[in-house]
Amino acid sequence: MGKKNCYVCGKEALSKNEIGLTKKLLDLESKKFYCLDCLAEYLEVDTEFLLTKVAEFKEQGCKEF
Amino acid sequence: MIYADNAATTRISDRAFEEMLPFLREQYGNASSQYSFGVKAKRAVEQARKQVAAAIGAEPSEITFTSGGSESNSWVLRCVAETYRNESIHIITSAIEHHSVLNACRALEQGGCVEVTFLPVDATGRVSLEDVKAAIKHNTKLVSIMLANNEIGTIQPINQIGAFLKGQEILFHTDAVQAVGHIPVDVDDLHVDFLTASAHKFNGAKGTGILYKRSGLNLSPLVFGGKQEHGIRAGTENIAGIVSAGFAIEESVSELAEEAKRLRSLVEVTVEGIKEKIPSVRVNGNTKFCLPGTVNLGFNGISGESLMHLLDLKGICVSTSSACTSGKDEPSHVLLALGLSEQQAKSAIRISYGRYNTADEAKVIVKAVCDAYAKMMDVL
Repeated sequence: MGKKNCYVCGKEALSKNEIGLTKKLLDLESKKFYCLDCLAEYLEVDTEFLLTKVAEFKEQGCKEF
Repeated sequence: MIYADNAATTRISDRAFEEMLPFLREQYGNASSQYSFGVKAKRAVEQARKQVAAAIGAEPSEITFTSGGSESNSWVLRCVAETYRNESIHIITSAIEHHSVLNACRALEQGGCVEVTFLPVDATGRVSLEDVKAAIKHNTKLVSIMLANNEIGTIQPINQIGAFLKGQEILFHTDAVQAVGHIPVDVDDLHVDFLTASAHKFNGAKGTGILYKRSGLNLSPLVFGGKQEHGIRAGTENIAGIVSAGFAIEESVSELAEEAKRLRSLVEVTVEGIKEKIPSVRVNGNTKFCLPGTVNLGFNGISGESLMHLLDLKGICVSTSSACTSGKDEPSHVLLALGLSEQQAKSAIRISYGRYNTADEAKVIVKAVCDAYAKMMDVL
């Protein structure tokens, strides 16, 4: 899988968790990816909340994270 | 938080909670003990048995308490098959049953000697009586069809199937877990021999299941041990849970007609509100024969699982039957059985309203779904 950049701020080489969040919360086939901050802004939640979700998804065994 | 996943479980009612509490603290006796402390516990179980029986038109002696719906379903399937262990038998069920029925059937098939027919359903999730008739074989011993589906809410023509099977040497079981407490259920009207229910689906506590067994029928035990539950289901009774079941079912049935009307209006507000902004939304299931508070919606082109997560971010709990928890994203067997494509099946969410949902919450859900949908479409 190639490196992904943030669609909004251009942050390079998004982390696995950032890519996973975009896929999990928006669409597995998403063409746009977001860094944690930009995704939080787009979804109107705070970044801490998204990190909590990452932990939950990992606990559930999701392999996107 | 807005909880709109009442088909998964419900909040215990205040009445059921208050009534069960003493049996966790002050009156914690074992119902099998012969001193007064135990007798009081036994009386509470028998009172609950009467309440449950009255709610479904049964006799108290026909009610057995179990650990939940899955145990009740497994019990009927496994033990009816066990009765005919020296014969090759045939069981009929439907393709959209709960996994506790489907997997029990598959296990029986794998054990040999049991052949299972999984009946198809129409595009709205209904089993046809004609298909049941056509599937009957000389060695058919059991038909097990759910009363209402957990994913789409479709209600099956159980009374028609039961009337057809009546008088034949074929036992009839219905998994009524989603129906009891939500639509009128009468075991005589349905002509069933066995019926499964579960307390936490009608605002009782988790961990208490119900099995109705028509008087005169024998069912060998699934759980062996003591002589509890008329000697057919061993294990110390979950007194508190059983008490909650009794009061919760009584409460649900007494409010059933009014509550069904209210829940139908919440579903209508939801569907119409979403359709206004997303005309392509699809209702999966039968809009006439359906549970009052359950609706399954399909959204073309997006992932139902992602929509569910976005709603979760906004504090709204709904469900999707296609959850990717281990990297394996399986579409719902129910939605596939309706004839939906894999992609359509994966685009669905289930909203299931219950006693504690309000019209304002339905409006919040409409807005949240439409907002989330727009965000999801924007990344494709």
